Amino acid sequence: MGVRASARKVWKVLENRPLVRSTIAIASLLALAGLLLASLAEVKLISLGFMADNASFLLVPAITSLTATMVSFAVGIVGAIPMGLIRSFGPRLMKGGGRTALLTAPLYGGVTAYIEAIRGTPALVQIFLVAQVSGILFPGNPNIPFLGGVLALTLNTLGYQAEVFRAGFQSVSQTQIDGAKAIGMRPRQVFAHITLPQGTRLITLPLLNEWLSLFKASALLGIVAVSELNWAAGYLGNNRSHPIEAYIMVSAVYLAIIIPLGKAVGYWERRHRTPGLGTAEPTPAGRGVRPRGLTL
Amino acid sequence: MISVRNVHKWFGELHVLKGVSLDVKKGEALVIIGPSGSGKSTLLRCMNLLVSPDEGDILIDGVRVNDPKIRPEWVRQQVGMVFQSFNLFTHLTALQNVVIGLTKVKRLSSTEAERIARFELERVGLADKADAYPAQLSGGQQQRVAIGRALALNPKAVLFDEPTSALDPEYIREVLDVMTKLANEGMTMVVVTHEMGFAQNVGDRVLFMADGIVVEEGTPEEIFERPQQDRTKTFVGTILG
Repeated sequence: MGVRASARKVWKVLENRPLVRSTIAIASLLALAGLLLASLAEVKLISLGFMADNASFLLVPAITSLTATMVSFAVGIVGAIPMGLIRSFGPRLMKGGGRTALLTAPLYGGVTAYIEAIRGTPALVQIFLVAQVSGILFPGNPNIPFLGGVLALTLNTLGYQAEVFRAGFQSVSQTQIDGAKAIGMRPRQVFAHITLPQGTRLITLPLLNEWLSLFKASALLGIVAVSELNWAAGYLGNNRSHPIEAYIMVSAVYLAIIIPLGKAVGYWERRHRTPGLGTAEPTPAGRGVRPRGLTL
Repeated sequence: MISVRNVHKWFGELHVLKGVSLDVKKGEALVIIGPSGSGKSTLLRCMNLLVSPDEGDILIDGVRVNDPKIRPEWVRQQVGMVFQSFNLFTHLTALQNVVIGLTKVKRLSSTEAERIARFELERVGLADKADAYPAQLSGGQQQRVAIGRALALNPKAVLFDEPTSALDPEYIREVLDVMTKLANEGMTMVVVTHEMGFAQNVGDRVLFMADGIVVEEGTPEEIFERPQQDRTKTFVGTILG
C-alpha cells in the first residue's frame, strides 16, 4: 500500500472526529516541546530541575492574571452593550431630528470619541496613565496597583468590545426587525428578544478573540507592579538568575490556558449554531439539528 | 373595518402615495394589484404603521390610529402582516416563532402559548415541523409558519405583502391554498399580489394602483373583464396575456 493510500485511510478515520484530531495534534506538540526542552537541558542552556522546583511559584500569579482579565472582560461587556447600541442606532435616531436627536448626538459623539481614543493609543500607555493618576489619588494604598491595572484593562477592552457589539447589532437584518414589529413588539422587546440574541450569537468568536487579546495584554500590568505572570517571570529571572527557564514556564502557562479555552469556546459555538444564522458552513447533511444544551 | 383616507407618503423627494383612500369591510378579501413601484407595499405598511403616513388618516373600526396618542404596537396586534420574504426569526424554531408573540406581546403563559402555537401550526399544515429552524424549511413552509405566526395573535385583519413573490413555483400553491382557506373562513384580508388566479377566485374586490394612486376598483369581473381605465386595460392585458 502506497503512502497516499494510507494517508487517505488515516484521514477517513479522523475526518469526523475533531476531538481525536486535536488530541493527536496537542500530544504531538507536547512531545516536540519535551524533546526541545530535553535538548536544551542537555547542552546546559536550561535547568529542568529549576523549572520543576519553581513551577508552583507561578500558581498565584496565574490566578492574578486570570482574575484581572475576567473582571475587566465582564465589566467591559456590561458597558459595551449600551455603547454598541448607541453606535449602531445613533445615526438613525439623529436623522429623525427633534428632541431625540438632541439627546442622542452628544451620547453618540462621546462614545465614538472614547472608542477612537482607546483604539488609537497603546494599551501600555493607557496602563501607565491610569497607574500614575491612581498613585497620586490614593498614595500608599497596597491594593492600588492591582485595582488600577484592572481599571485600565476594563477601559481598554470596553473600547474594543463596543465595536464588536456594534457590528453584531448592525448585522441583524431589517427583515427581522420588521417581523418583530409586525407582531406588536415594542422597541425594547425587539432589542431584547431579536437583536440582542441574534447579534450575540454572531459575535461569539470575535468576543473570544477579544478575551484572548485581553488576557495577553494583562502581561503589561507587571510593569506597574501587579504580581501577574509576566511579573513572575521577571522575578524568577532576576532574583534566581534563570530567566530563560522562567519565560519558557510562563509561556507554557499562557498556552495551557489559551489553547483549551479557544477550543472549548469554538466547540460550544459549533454546537449552539442555529442553521441559517451566520453559519459559514452548512449543517451536515442528514444530521439535522443537533439537540441543544447537550454536552459531550 | 380599515379605512385609509387621502394618505400621502414621501420618501425624500419621491412622492410614493399621492392621496390614497380605500375601505376594507369586515370579512372581505381585498386584492391590490399594480405594476412594481406603484406604492402597493408602502400603502400596506401604512395600514399597520410600519410606515407612518405624512398626510391623511388610517382608521381601524372608526378610530384614527396614526395619532401620537395611540401606540403603533397596539395597532399591529389588531392588524397582522405577512411579508414577501417571510421574516421569520432565524434564531427560533417554527414553534418558537409563533410562541414568542403570544408570550411577549399577549403575555400568555408559556403552556397556553404553546397550545395555541401548535394549533396554528396544525392549521397551516406544519404540525410536524414545529422544531425545525426556518433555514431547514422550504420557502412555502416558511411562509405558512409566518401566516400561523400572524394568525396566532388573533388579529382583526391580516395584510399580505406579495406573499408568494419570493417562492419557487412549486411552493406557491400550498401558500395560496392556506390563504384561500382563510378567506373562506371569513378572515378580513388585504392582499398585494401578482397571482391573478387568486385575485379572480378569492378576491371580493380588486383595486388597481399605479404611480401612487388608486386607478380603478371593482369586483374581479369588472377589473379583469371590463376595465374602464386605459392603464388598467394595459396592465390587465399584459398580465393575463
